[in-house]
Amino acid sequence: MAGAMTRRSALGTFGAVGAALATGTLSIGTPARAQAQGQSQALGLQESVQDGLKRVFGGRPMKDGAALIKLDIPPIAENGAVVPVSVEVNAPMTPASHVKSIWIVADKNRIPIIAKATLTPEAGQAFVGANVRLGETTDVRAIVEQSDGTLLTAKREVKVTVGGCGG
Amino acid sequence: MSDIGKIRIRVPSNVKAGDVVRVRCLVIHPMEIVQRDAQGKIIDRNYNYITRVTATYLGKPVVAFDLTQSVSENPAFSFALKATAPGPVKVTFVDTHGGKYEATADIAFA
Amino acid sequence: MRSLPRLRWAALALLVTGCALAARESTPVASPGRTSRAIAEARGDVRVSPDGKRTAVRYAGWTTRDFGAFRSYAYDDVRPEPPVQKAVMPVGVVGDPKKGRALFLDRQKGPCSGCHLVPGDDVWPAGSVGPDLSTLADRTLPDAYLYQQLWDPRVTFPVTVMPPWGAQGVFTPEEIVHLVAYLQTLHGPPPPEKDADRNPFTRRKPTGFGDNLDPTNNPAVVRAEEAQALWSARGPKGKACADCHAGRPQTAMRGVATRYPRVVAEYGRVMSLEDFLSVHAEATTGRALPSESAANLDATLLVKMASNGLPVAVDTTSPAARAAIERGRASFYRRVGERNHACADCHTPDHGANKFLGGRFLGDVTGGLTRHFPTWRTSQNDVWDMRKRMQWCMTPLGANMLAADAVEYAELELYLTTFDVGKPINAPGIRH
Repeated sequence: MAGAMTRRSALGTFGAVGAALATGTLSIGTPARAQAQGQSQALGLQESVQDGLKRVFGGRPMKDGAALIKLDIPPIAENGAVVPVSVEVNAPMTPASHVKSIWIVADKNRIPIIAKATLTPEAGQAFVGANVRLGETTDVRAIVEQSDGTLLTAKREVKVTVGGCGG
Repeated sequence: MSDIGKIRIRVPSNVKAGDVVRVRCLVIHPMEIVQRDAQGKIIDRNYNYITRVTATYLGKPVVAFDLTQSVSENPAFSFALKATAPGPVKVTFVDTHGGKYEATADIAFA
Repeated sequence: MRSLPRLRWAALALLVTGCALAARESTPVASPGRTSRAIAEARGDVRVSPDGKRTAVRYAGWTTRDFGAFRSYAYDDVRPEPPVQKAVMPVGVVGDPKKGRALFLDRQKGPCSGCHLVPGDDVWPAGSVGPDLSTLADRTLPDAYLYQQLWDPRVTFPVTVMPPWGAQGVFTPEEIVHLVAYLQTLHGPPPPEKDADRNPFTRRKPTGFGDNLDPTNNPAVVRAEEAQALWSARGPKGKACADCHAGRPQTAMRGVATRYPRVVAEYGRVMSLEDFLSVHAEATTGRALPSESAANLDATLLVKMASNGLPVAVDTTSPAARAAIERGRASFYRRVGERNHACADCHTPDHGANKFLGGRFLGDVTGGLTRHFPTWRTSQNDVWDMRKRMQWCMTPLGANMLAADAVEYAELELYLTTFDVGKPINAPGIRH
């Protein structure tokens, strides 16, 4: 079922869908136990957000990036299982100056440092999106690191509803 | 038959050289969450979740994601790339159980 | 005894045949001894252990509580609605507003905030199905009046959708005294609203989950695409769907879903695609597709999607269909369960539709919803058909769910589908 197929899409910009099947599971040796969810030094730990930010960024100053960072996230999430987040940074993407990394952080999550995107200038635009899990109503932050080491941050509150007659 | 590892990629059509285009991909995967027992203690086991996503275009890295269990089940990811020539966008997902899943979609110029 | 004279046998034969024919013409109903073809957790079974304890068999994670004490949708459940009860406020109980507030917000009970807004930053998310109670105490209603309202509001408002909490035993008399004490503290003016979303009357509506047919957005589309192989896979009888329905499902099944649910004469009842597949697939290919199995949902998706874009065209005019729709309509308005609720209480514009129940924006069936089912549910990370959706409602309402393929649900589904007539099928949907 490889190949592009035209598909009705609510988003006018995308015409063709390139649908490709996975090649299947390849074993990479014996699966190693994920180290206390700390397989990447920046991510995956159950910790408070303050501890997480300190661990990842030390005390490095973070500038207010509200003017440059478009953090797109629904103000109310119908459920915490699938919350679409996207981050777009109004900044150049040249080899000399580009956005290097974007972290997505949810203050109240048990694992608050949710994901880290690493970009190259070939991206052409500092834009990433992902579907995340939110445990409860929380501030969600985008932390942007530029190639010169500057950190920028922006945040939005997301209210999470749980479901059932009362939530 | 499990659908784990099945991938879909969406690339735009009518691309011109120099366009910055957005790509979205979705992978079927349980992204297992941390479970706790009745006392609230974390159950220690090797949870199966995707830790890394890498995307290349024309063989060169464009973006990579490092993930945790705070990412949704059957996650979708979006990113941008500067279209310089027709050619493949390849995404690769790696999970904690040794699973490696790949798929390719072609950027075609108008 | 010697056999009856031939004439009498003939008469008897005619009578039997006539009755059988009449049964076919007359409207099909659930037979008490019906067998479900659903998977074990979808049959609505209740197990009785040797000590008499009753446990419901349901999907993983669903409550196993038996609600047998309360009315269900079963056609043979002829119990009336709980009688309207007058209440007398107990003496000697001092109402504690703090306890009352905790009870008001307790999600194991109502919570009352599911329908009613009250002040407090911790009140999230309150609903707008019922009136805002933030300044109720300004009305200086007597305690006894409020007590009666919570015990059984039907005494004052015969057609209210508010459950008879006390009469049904959800709250004890003492708890209601505490609730009344809390309500009597709610004097105006209410604190200024810092957040327009806290208040369900000004809250932003949900924006949905985007393009339901985009496989990079809706995992159900991926699932359906991957299930295409099912169509030409040989079952135990050595046959595949494609052997009789030549071609891919998109072409072979085009238009079929527009006519479902429908009265299926050979089975004598209303059937949805899921119901029909659960009998038809096994009869022809030998492959069992029990209701609520993954394979049944996959096959249903294939057939339903083949009609995407085509207008729903269920039979609403034949006598059998009309009678079934009328029974489905009666079910839609039938009060069931511990909460004594009807579907209509939440899902019609007269009552709860387009309002918030807690955090949930209630759907309006009169706009037609069945054409999007089976749907992907992001909160479940799974495909749900209409039956599972109906079964789900039974647990918060406090009524035992029926089997997924129960004829009561089928006729209710047919009634709901009348609101989709003429509208284009668009499945699978994607929602909360």
